[in-house]
Amino acid sequence: MNDSTRRRYLAGLGTAVTAGLAGCNSLLGGDNGESPSQQVEVPALTQLRGSGSIVEGRPQPEGTSINDLPNLSGELSLYLGGGEGGIYREFVEILEQAYPEFTVLPTTNTSSTLAQQIVEEVDSGASRADVFWSIDASSLAYVTQNDAVELLPEEVTAPVPDSFTGPDNAWVGIAGRARAIPYNTNELSDDDIPNKVAEFPETPALQGTMGWAPTYGAFKSFITAMRLLRGEDATRQWLVDMREAGTERYGNEYVVSQQVADGALSAGFANHYYALRVQNQRPDAPIDLAFTEGDAGALVNVAGATRIQGTGNADLADLFIRHLLTAEAQEFFATRSFAYPMIDGVRPVGDLPLVSELNPPEIDLSELSDLESTLDLMEEAGVSG
Amino acid sequence: MSAPDWPAPITDRLDGSGDLGGRTVTAIAVLLAFLLVVPLAWLFIQTATLGDQIPALLTSATTLAVLGRSVALVAAVTGASILVGVPLAVLTVQSNLPFKRFWTVAAALPLAVPSYLGAFAFISAFGPRGAFVDLLAPLGIEKIPSVFGFWGAVFVLTIYTYPYVFLTTRASLLSLDASLVEAARTLNAGRFEAFRRVTLPQIAPGIAAGALLVALYALADFGTPAFMRVQVFTQFIYSRFDAFQQGYAALLSLQLLAVTAVVLFLESRIGADDDGAYESRGNRGKFGFDLGVFRYPAMLLPAGIGLLAVGLPIGIFTAWLFRPGTGLASDGMAFEWAFAANSVQVAVLAAVASLVVALPIGLRGANADSRLSRLAERAPYVGYATPGIVLALALLWFTLDVAPVVYRNYGIPLLVFAYVVRFSSQAVGSIRTSVLQVDSRLHEAARTLGRSRLQTFRAVTLPLIVPGVATGAALVFLTTMKELPATLMLRPLGFETLVTHIWSVRETGAYGQAAIPALVLVVISALSMGVILHQEQRT
Repeated sequence: MNDSTRRRYLAGLGTAVTAGLAGCNSLLGGDNGESPSQQVEVPALTQLRGSGSIVEGRPQPEGTSINDLPNLSGELSLYLGGGEGGIYREFVEILEQAYPEFTVLPTTNTSSTLAQQIVEEVDSGASRADVFWSIDASSLAYVTQNDAVELLPEEVTAPVPDSFTGPDNAWVGIAGRARAIPYNTNELSDDDIPNKVAEFPETPALQGTMGWAPTYGAFKSFITAMRLLRGEDATRQWLVDMREAGTERYGNEYVVSQQVADGALSAGFANHYYALRVQNQRPDAPIDLAFTEGDAGALVNVAGATRIQGTGNADLADLFIRHLLTAEAQEFFATRSFAYPMIDGVRPVGDLPLVSELNPPEIDLSELSDLESTLDLMEEAGVSG
Repeated sequence: MSAPDWPAPITDRLDGSGDLGGRTVTAIAVLLAFLLVVPLAWLFIQTATLGDQIPALLTSATTLAVLGRSVALVAAVTGASILVGVPLAVLTVQSNLPFKRFWTVAAALPLAVPSYLGAFAFISAFGPRGAFVDLLAPLGIEKIPSVFGFWGAVFVLTIYTYPYVFLTTRASLLSLDASLVEAARTLNAGRFEAFRRVTLPQIAPGIAAGALLVALYALADFGTPAFMRVQVFTQFIYSRFDAFQQGYAALLSLQLLAVTAVVLFLESRIGADDDGAYESRGNRGKFGFDLGVFRYPAMLLPAGIGLLAVGLPIGIFTAWLFRPGTGLASDGMAFEWAFAANSVQVAVLAAVASLVVALPIGLRGANADSRLSRLAERAPYVGYATPGIVLALALLWFTLDVAPVVYRNYGIPLLVFAYVVRFSSQAVGSIRTSVLQVDSRLHEAARTLGRSRLQTFRAVTLPLIVPGVATGAALVFLTTMKELPATLMLRPLGFETLVTHIWSVRETGAYGQAAIPALVLVVISALSMGVILHQEQRT
């Protein structure tokens, strides 16, 4: 692509992503000896954003713009954890279109599979990928604990709060996923839902009316958090109590959220974005979200990225991860998959509380990779994952 | 099409009859069989890391309960597949069912649909918020029994695996000597008594061969029970692997393989029992079961199963094409024809490579004069019964320890090797069966006329076993097209196939986008089914 086409695209971009960019000059390093490009074909904000009522009337995203960063160029090998794989892949393709000299060789699988594959590969000196982009912190923690990552430079992790980065910047959060309680607004009101999950088993309105998806990774992380906060006995008992109260089992949390919207369930345990997907698909669906406070039910997990040990491609890997933390990328993830943005300048969609307004428990996300005891405990409670 | 001795035509076989130099081929066969199982040795190495935890883990109550459920699932699916597959085979071979050819295709076609897609379609149709549930609601039917659970899984697995029994039973019936049945009838045996006392013993090894593939498939399958929410052994393995417990996952896999060994043993008991060798080659199979007026209603059986197993998923996939999205504000990933080309490419390579492996093993297995060649002939089934994820892991450990360069730089050969380990047993079985049907006196005659072993093989044996070879290749092609877990893990970076693409979009809940690749997959697989059925006519 020649410069004149790039400029034309830039003109099309208009003023979309300019508002918050003035203050970001510190990040304009020109690492590759190139001037920070004013030449990149970044799609207009209206194209980046999702559509539908849920994204109407959003403020301009602020933060580092793609235009502030050096051009991506070269070939990057990417291990991409499943989950919102489609959305993430789409963004990668946008970057590939913007930078004609940039190619990504991706492979997708579940995040935990990729994490274990990376550790085995690094052990044998045969790693294939430069960047690991996982949908949850436990897989990032696993590769970190097994010395399969390289620490990220400060300029990569700077825009993200410390609670969403790994130890010594081993990884950086890209998109937040909050635990939440989707509930049917015809059946319940926000006040009916206690602000601690520990009280759920004794809450009459929630007896035999809830659903969960114990085989789903995010649920296991939620139980891991509870185990870390309240101990094994209390957690096992809680599982038994909820099971005996008639909580119904489903295959995944999207289905749980759909069932809540249908009224088949009054409430459920799910990541926050599933209810938003239901809302986006069916604007009149009687579904809303409640959040508990300071307990496992308020856990905020993250999708994140890290650089794999021994990659000969560190500069490109870092620059790629920085692109995932630009205003455009964060707006894209927030409005397409309804994730919690990791940078201050981008708001979560709809009337979601800000991350700073949520009250997550004091848990180091890296501890979530200890799933063994969680699975044992869930089995003992008859809620096998 | 698979394993053991169904009626062998001639009793006086030569040493190494019908094939190349006996010893050399045995050596090659044993070597290849060894190659197929050696990566699985890494399961033992990985398990050893657990140390003294092993006994406790092996006998934990949960493990045993899940093991019991898996065995029950395998038994139920195998039993149901026999109940569906054998009558359909008899109907389409021996009866005067109208449009037999059409119903044969319809009854075999479910094999072209990956069972996890079938499960997916069933849930979409009959599950909560399902298409049919919505249709039935105005009729006053508000609640249908839940499709989830043990019996739901049995149902779905059965309708997608019974064609194995159907095809092997058909092959047996087609080569059955009808004069024996006629003799029984002459001796005043009733139609059903003749079937029970004459036909059944003759086709039992054929039924067993198909049942073996069904049982091992049900044991190793992860996707279908997971969709139907039944906790079986494979799900248990996945869950522990997901929790970064590779050692435990390996231990559980070994337990699963122990069950496999039992299944293989049971089948070999039936297979070995071949007193039914016949003498006449005339008058094959065409013996008539006159259904009388029932021949029209009898069409409902293949029609119903074909509609359920093939019509329903195709209908659901097509409906997805027109369905609104998944709530994600995104178009997701677009389908590319290159995915289909990639699928076909690796499936063809897997089929060819499997033949290279299966020919010597199948040739020797058919003349199983030694315990060693018998063992070599059974070994490939271990790979078939290994869940894809376990096999992929074993290969990952194996190649990283032995030849990391291969792992890094030769993704496609590694992937093809994985398919050969997993699926070549199907080619071994069908080749072995067709070798058994070659009259060794032809081979003897050729040798007498001064042909060398190689010449004899090329001029006599090979042409006669072509149908078995083609069927074996088609089965490997078909199953490779559908394979997911090993493909996901071992494919080179940037290599997308139909199933990996379906997996990616399914993860996002974008069912609509799964529709086109799913339809393409079913159509290509159906074409390879055509090869199998075409070969049948030649036998």
